Amino acid sequence: MRVWVYLIALLSPGSALAHVSEQGFVLLLPTGGYILGGAATVALTVLALAFAPKAKVEALFKTFRLPVLRAIGIRFGAQLFALIVFLLCIGFGFIGASDPLRNPLTLLVWTVFWIGLVCIQGAFFDIWRWINPFAGAARLGADAGWRAPFRLPTYSHWPALVLFIAFAAFLLADPAPSDPRRLAKFALGYLGFSVIGCALFGPRWLVRVEVMTVLMRTYRQSALVSGGRLGVWGWRCVRAATPGLALALLILALLGLGSFDGLNETFWWLGQIGVNPLEFPGRSAVINETVAGLLIANIALIVFYAAFIWAGVRLAGGNFAISFRVFAPSLLPIAIAYHVAHYLTSFLVDAQYVKSLVSTTFGGEQIAVTTGFFNTLATVRIIWLSQAGAVVLGHVAALLVAHALALKLYGDRKAATLSQLPLALFMILYTLFGLWLLASPRGA
Amino acid sequence: MTKSTQTRRTALKTLGAAATLPLWARYTNAQTAAPVKVGFQVHRTGIGAAYGRWYDRTTQAAVAKINGEGGINGRMIEVVAEDDGTDPKRGAEVVEKFATQHNCDVAFGTLFSHVVIGSAPSAGEMKLPYFVVSEGHHVASGMLNRYTLQPGITDVKSQVQAMAPFVAENLGKKVTMVFPDFAFGHDHRDFFTAAIEAQGGEVLEHIAIPPSETSFTKYFPKIPRETEVLYHVMVGPAVLTFVKELGEFFGPSRPEIFGFIDSLEAVDISSPGLEFLEGTYFWEGNPRYAQAEQTEYDAAYRAAVGVDANGASLSDAKDVSTYAHMFGCWETLHVLKAGMESAGYAGPDDRGKLIEAVEAMSEMPEGFDHPQGAKLFNGKTHQVFGHQYISKVEDGRLVLAHTTSIEDTLYEDEVDYTTQPL
Repeated sequence: MRVWVYLIALLSPGSALAHVSEQGFVLLLPTGGYILGGAATVALTVLALAFAPKAKVEALFKTFRLPVLRAIGIRFGAQLFALIVFLLCIGFGFIGASDPLRNPLTLLVWTVFWIGLVCIQGAFFDIWRWINPFAGAARLGADAGWRAPFRLPTYSHWPALVLFIAFAAFLLADPAPSDPRRLAKFALGYLGFSVIGCALFGPRWLVRVEVMTVLMRTYRQSALVSGGRLGVWGWRCVRAATPGLALALLILALLGLGSFDGLNETFWWLGQIGVNPLEFPGRSAVINETVAGLLIANIALIVFYAAFIWAGVRLAGGNFAISFRVFAPSLLPIAIAYHVAHYLTSFLVDAQYVKSLVSTTFGGEQIAVTTGFFNTLATVRIIWLSQAGAVVLGHVAALLVAHALALKLYGDRKAATLSQLPLALFMILYTLFGLWLLASPRGA
Repeated sequence: MTKSTQTRRTALKTLGAAATLPLWARYTNAQTAAPVKVGFQVHRTGIGAAYGRWYDRTTQAAVAKINGEGGINGRMIEVVAEDDGTDPKRGAEVVEKFATQHNCDVAFGTLFSHVVIGSAPSAGEMKLPYFVVSEGHHVASGMLNRYTLQPGITDVKSQVQAMAPFVAENLGKKVTMVFPDFAFGHDHRDFFTAAIEAQGGEVLEHIAIPPSETSFTKYFPKIPRETEVLYHVMVGPAVLTFVKELGEFFGPSRPEIFGFIDSLEAVDISSPGLEFLEGTYFWEGNPRYAQAEQTEYDAAYRAAVGVDANGASLSDAKDVSTYAHMFGCWETLHVLKAGMESAGYAGPDDRGKLIEAVEAMSEMPEGFDHPQGAKLFNGKTHQVFGHQYISKVEDGRLVLAHTTSIEDTLYEDEVDYTTQPL
């Protein structure tokens, strides 16, 4: 009976009411020209780098010390506060409003954390070290005299990589990741899992397994400010230790998720999986396709990246396995740029729901949420160019980082430049892909 | 008419009974009565989210009004909103949750047809009255069940059919239709072709556009030269491109053009690129712009929802509402109130009585509870019928050109749900 009803549902009218909104205006923008302009900017960066003296490139990554707050006590307090907020929100996830846009947990996890905090962490500064609730819980245990009975049997990031893939699948393929009750179960389960992990294996759990901390510690490398120093985007990628294979793959997976989350909404992708782009049948109907697409996108990205790295090694000499790991962090600025670009529009809307919730919590008025800025060509152009600007900026930063890493690896400009030619081509192509993604019509 | 008098009489009786209670009992009753829980199945995420936002606003406004006027039988309405993700499978789960977890009295508010069709069987199984606001023909077509009703918004079959007399008399009898090549477009094709033929007109050409198309220039040469009226129902992100390219193709000498506002719902008609629409006609479920002869009911409804005279949010003039559809939430909740009061609804055990009470309704006069206009409910098909509006774009505004009669929208019953057991 049900199957029959779904079949009819797929054939029935009415889903056609999907909104025109900003997508319609994006299709009116001269995005073809913008895309070429963006790709040309990245290509010119490649050219400039090819002729830039080593000292000039290194000078770009100079950093400046900032006056730093070195108050461990305050940090612990902030982490505890974050833990309490997280726990309270989980509680509200269970008993609060079932409307996801009026529930603190959904807004905390998907708008405040996944969009807001990740963007701050990857683009600006290491906010996570101040508000990491998992660290707060671990510290609480340690202060209470708890000593972990076991040592974590691995020094690598493989567990975090596996958890990240699971998280990505939940984000993209789960039918209802915003449902407060469902999200509360996952959040509580994951918090419990992390607390038990820390209790059994000590704080190393946080930096090897606890995927949010691993993700945030990875993303801080692309931020402007890190460890109390200010530099250009990605400066810390150049100074950080070469990642292990698992962490290198995790960085690729960050970019893979950012790329597929977006691609999966395009008319092109919906055509690939046989879905009418004007009549999206809902996430439930495409769970397998989405998981498969996510995995394929990640594997394809790894294969392409490896091929371009391999070509660079062929041109300039060196060791493929080392180069694969050395250059992976250069993708972080692109990954965070995709994150910013992809989520900008939903943030503009959902942040208003956060504001409204905060307002009503403290006895204020409900805020009338607007999407008026999606309704004029002028504002849509600003939004689109901001997204595209982030993507282009991310690629330019990535090229700079990759070039600096190559100078570090090869020591001389000629070999470094040669080794970078294939990777530079990869980044130009990826710019084209990213901008195409922003300009593509979407149906899901 | 008799049915509606009965409704009023019953309501009066209820009121009279309440009035005979001692004051303290009435007061206590009002204070302790559990709320009427309305499960609001809302498209919070997914492709329906933009509509969901306005359905939510309208629902909150209607509930505030009804509660402010004393609620339903003295009980306040409590809205339990659940996101269905604009996803039929989740829709079914949400309806089950309303019945089993939230103990809702009814479910309400679904717009997208595929979600309605996916959810209705659950409502039937749970015996949960399910009031949809979807304008799909699936209710009246007989494919759903006794527990699913659409008393607050008309269906697409009646809408399309009612356009034909106006089009044939005022715009022309030789029509070319441009529509997306899937069920939504096919409905328009089938319903309108039959209706215009009944008016002595004909469709010269059916131009079906693949849903994934984002440029339309290559289809326009298929429009026959003798076309007097172009009927379009394009939807999706490429609609603005469609209008722009249509304007470029025809230039100043164009046939009459008639479309459905679904294409441009929540889009500012005065947007750059839409100038070509000047002088063209649109079906509107409810006129977006306050008209010269605006009723006090529309004015009150606008004010309550927070919509200005241009159909945009009072707090942001660029935030254009889904005005042609969202009145359905307002009117449906008022029908629910009338139905519960007429049935003497006291709790979930009376769900069957509620269905029968709504089935017994027929005429719904225009008023503060029906600001879109008078309606005629068909208890057998569970579908409401009402006036349709045809507006002309003048100076970048939609100006009402014609209001259809309710008779224009009627068609033969395709089902009698009252024969199904409760």
